[in-house]
Formats: sequence, C-alpha cells, structure tokens
Amino acid sequence: MELDTPLTSPAAQGGRRSQLWKRFKKQKVLHAFVGLGMIFLLVFSYTPMFGILMAFKDYSISNGIQGIFTSEWVGLRYFDEFIHDYQFATIVRNTLVLSFLKVIFAFPAPILLAIMLNEVKNMAFKRFVQTISYLPHFISWVVVVGVSYAFLSADVGMVNRALVEAGLIDKPLNILTSPDYFWGLAVGSAIWKEMGWWTIIFLAAITGINPSLYEAAEIDGAGRLARIRYITLPGMKGTIVVVLVLTIGSILGGGLVGSNFEQAYLFGNSINNPTSEIVQTYAFKVGLSDGRFSYAAAIDLIQSVISVVLIFSSNFIAKRVSGSSLF
Amino acid sequence: MLKSQKQKDFLFDSVIYIVLFIIMLTMLYPFYYVLIASFNKGSDTLLGGVYLWPRSVTLENYKIFLEDPKWYRAFLVTVARTITGTALGLLLTSLVAYALSHRDLLFSKTYFSIIVFAMYFSGGLIPYYVVLRSIGLLNSFAVYIVPSMLNTFFLLIAISFFREIPGEMKESAHMDGAGELVIFFRIILPVSTPVLATMALFMGVGQWNSWLDSAYFVQSENLRTLTYRMMEVINKSNSPMDAIAVANSASASAGVTSFSLQVTSMVVSIVPIICVYPFLQKYFVHGIMLGSVKG
Repeated sequence: MELDTPLTSPAAQGGRRSQLWKRFKKQKVLHAFVGLGMIFLLVFSYTPMFGILMAFKDYSISNGIQGIFTSEWVGLRYFDEFIHDYQFATIVRNTLVLSFLKVIFAFPAPILLAIMLNEVKNMAFKRFVQTISYLPHFISWVVVVGVSYAFLSADVGMVNRALVEAGLIDKPLNILTSPDYFWGLAVGSAIWKEMGWWTIIFLAAITGINPSLYEAAEIDGAGRLARIRYITLPGMKGTIVVVLVLTIGSILGGGLVGSNFEQAYLFGNSINNPTSEIVQTYAFKVGLSDGRFSYAAAIDLIQSVISVVLIFSSNFIAKRVSGSSLF
Repeated sequence: MLKSQKQKDFLFDSVIYIVLFIIMLTMLYPFYYVLIASFNKGSDTLLGGVYLWPRSVTLENYKIFLEDPKWYRAFLVTVARTITGTALGLLLTSLVAYALSHRDLLFSKTYFSIIVFAMYFSGGLIPYYVVLRSIGLLNSFAVYIVPSMLNTFFLLIAISFFREIPGEMKESAHMDGAGELVIFFRIILPVSTPVLATMALFMGVGQWNSWLDSAYFVQSENLRTLTYRMMEVINKSNSPMDAIAVANSASASAGVTSFSLQVTSMVVSIVPIICVYPFLQKYFVHGIMLGSVKG
C-alpha cells in the first residue's frame, strides 16, 4: 500500500528501505514467533532433505549430521547394489502388486458406499451407518492388526474356530502367517479401516448435485439404477478424478486407503515375508536394524522419485482425459 | 412379465439396506467382540464359542493389566505423551499461525513457500532418524513431543481461521498497549475454540495411536507406549514357537492369558477414542473438506 510510491530518486529508495526497517521493527515479536516455527522446519524437515545426500555417499552414523557432508562420494553405488539385491525382484513386485490391488479394490469401495448411502431414505439409519463406518479410521493400525489377530489367527482366531466347528474347513487357515493370504488381508483391512472415511468426501460431492436433475429424470421414467448411472456418477466425476490422482500419486505408499508401510510392517512376519516385504519396510529394516544408512536412503529415494513422477503423470492424464485435475 | 416400478424399487431398497446392514455389522462387531473378550475369563475364551456375550464374566483381565507394571507404565506414558504432545503442539502451531495470519507481515510470501515446500517434500525416514540421533532426541520422552510440535497442515488451517477474526479487536488492544503475546492469549485464543478443538482432537488421536517412534526411536523399557506393547504381543504370538507358549501361559493368575491381556489393552486403547468420537465427528467433516481443497 504505502510501498506503491514510485521509485524515482535515490532519496525515495532510501526512504523506502528505512520504512521497511521501521515496519520490520514494529513486527519484530511476530517475526520471532515465525522464526521459532522456522527453526522446527529447518531441523525436522529441511535437514533430513539434505540428508538424502547420504544415498550418494559412504555415510556412517557415527559421524552424525556433519558426516552427511564430509563423507566420501560413491555416486550410484548403492542404487546399483539395490538393483542387484537378491530380494530386489520380490520386493518391487510386492510393492507394485499391493499398490495396484488397493487402487482396484479399495479405491472404488467408498464410492459405492456413498452411492448406497445416498439411496437410503431413512435419515437415522443413514447417519448411523455412516457414523459407524468411519470409526475405524481413528483406530491405530496396531489395534487393527490386533483385532485381525483376535479374529483370524490360527490358534485363537474366532472366525477360524467357528469355521472349524461348523465343519466348513478341516483345519484353521493360516491367514496371518502364510504368504498366500497377505495381499487379500492387506486390501481387506485397508477397506475396513478407510472406506467410511473417504465416503465423507464422495457423499459431499453427491450433495452438490442439483436435485431437479433427479426429478426431471424421474418424470422421464428413469429407474433408480438409471438415475445413479446417468446423474449421480457423472455428478461425482470431478471428485472421483481428484481423489484418483491423489491415490495414484501416493500409490506406492498405499494410496489414500491405508498405509502400505504400516500394514506390511505390522502384518508382516518371517513366514509371510515373501509377499509382505515391500520397498519401504525393506529400507527401514536395512537402515534402522542393520545400520546400513546410505543403502537404505538410496532405496527410499528411488521410491520417492517414482512417486513424484506418478503424481505428475496421473495429473497430466486426468487433465487430458476428463478436464478435471488437481493442479 | 414386467415388474411394476414399485416392486422394483422395493427390491432395490431391500438389497441396499441388507448390504449396508452387513457393512455396519463388519465395522461394529470386531469392536464388540474385543470388548466381550476383555470381560471374559482368558482361559475360557481360548476354548472358543464366545460370540455374543461374555460367558464367564470377570474383571481379572483389567486387574492384571493394571497390576502389571509393564502395561500400566505403558498406559501412563501414552497418556502423558498425548496430553503433553497435544498441548505443546497446539501452542506452537497456533502461535506461529497467529504471527503468519497478519496480512501485512513482511516476507510472508517467503515464509509460506518454506512451509508449503516442507509439506510436500520430505527427506524420508532414514535421514530423519539421523537428525533425531544427532540432536540427542533418541531414547527420550521428548522424541514423542518435539518433532511433531509444528504441524504444517493445521498451521495453514489455523492461519485461515485467524484471518477471519475482525482486526478491530486486535487494534483496540494494541491501543491499550497490549503486547503480541497478551493479544494472542487473551484475545485470539478465546475466540478460536472451534479450530483449537479440531487441532487438539486430531493431534491427540495422532499421539495416542502412534507406534513407530516408540518402536524405533526409544530403547528404554520405561518409555514404551501402549501401542508398542500391543505390537510386541502380536509379534510374539505370530511366530509359531511362541503360539505354544501363549497357550501354555493360560495359567497362573485367574485364567488370564496373553490373548486376554491383549484384548484388554485394545479396549483400553479404543475407549478414549470412542469417548472423543462425537467431538471428532463434529469437526472432522469440515476438516477433511478443507484438507481436500488444499491437498
């Protein structure tokens, strides 16, 4: 406002600078508050970003933070090592399969639930179902795994025992401790935990649809399914695209429907390891358990780079195909 | 042959109601089962057949839970970290947000770019661990609190909330010679309860549910949290050798098994969330909408 004075003479410029300084001094307490926040960001966000350098260096934890800068450059040695790791193919396959299964099965679940809830006329029932459905979102993954254990484990699992008693199976299924079931378990528990939460946003999208469209369709003789197909779904298109872009961008982390890392780590054990080990859990174990920090940072970095590429390309495709996009 | 529209609608509605009812049951029953199992005698639960109500009602599980120093201590640490972490997180995040909510603040563009960049990019877990280690936060209670004190997501939400507060309130306080801290505590915070409540609830739930920091940033047994202890039991019982040990440990004290202790700890962990759930609900619909617009 007062800064808009034209900068003609050096005197005016000097005046402007001193005015700025005056303003700054007046705001110094506020800048101190912001500065405090900036220190937190510097320490906990930006220093780790510089820490990525260690992926290209021979870093040893005993050298602390300075070691990130002083240790010797090794170029792409650790990236090369990861590609030749004997577990490389398995880990990459698990990460991709788990991520895509979640997009295929867990992403549409809240859309279907939102459409079904929208068809319910009884408001009390609708609200009750919705309230219950997002409760699991607020429960820790540790508890979700604990609940799964109580239901599915081969020795104390309630479902397993009931099935055996009913004579439907001969012996308990090793759902938690067998590589055959892990992907199903992960997708199923992700749907259970996050479906209701993401329904909120899709229901909001449906609320935004003009009710007169439904009335007109009804007069034209469109049945319930036809109205869903031709009014509800097109009305949700924008939201669906935005959420899909977000999901694909974070697909390697598990998308928006449940963290791959938490699932793979907490459901994972030595027996289902052949299907449950993913890039993130591997980097984590290699880094924090084996102390190979540079190697782990390199593995982590590969995943981050792929994620950034994915979000930009999915956004680009969404813009081209449907006209709606995230940025 | 053609069914009337009414019949079709009835069929359609029935299918939807039945599917929704099943979904509701799958969401609700696990919580209920864990609850009744925690009130059932541990050794009796292992016999199977407990589905709808406790068969052999007992409070032993809770008694042992509270008497076991390991569990009890974990519970206290979790409560302490939730309260401290939420309070300090709320304080720092809203203080910084207050300063940044001044539209005439110099360099605010720079500040915002720094914040938004930090929201979208991270160095990953490994360098983060190195940082925590070098500044001496590892293996201390502070590692639960300090790194999450500034929440960038809620920072942006609080800024937009504070900006809606009429400027006259601040100006008249300035006239009276009040400093920024006084204005922040006496004028801004009291009128900001909706946003503060939202932040407190989400930060609180985050603190309460967090498990990774207790598993990897802390070694002292005294600092373990509830989620960590649960994880420990689950990990143990999933390895085949220990499954036998679990079955055998169905012994000494009043039929309490490691499984019944585990479900008890789960109830202890879920109940506080259910208690704040009505409040969470009141605020989070707004929160997720904001988040999705910004995200």
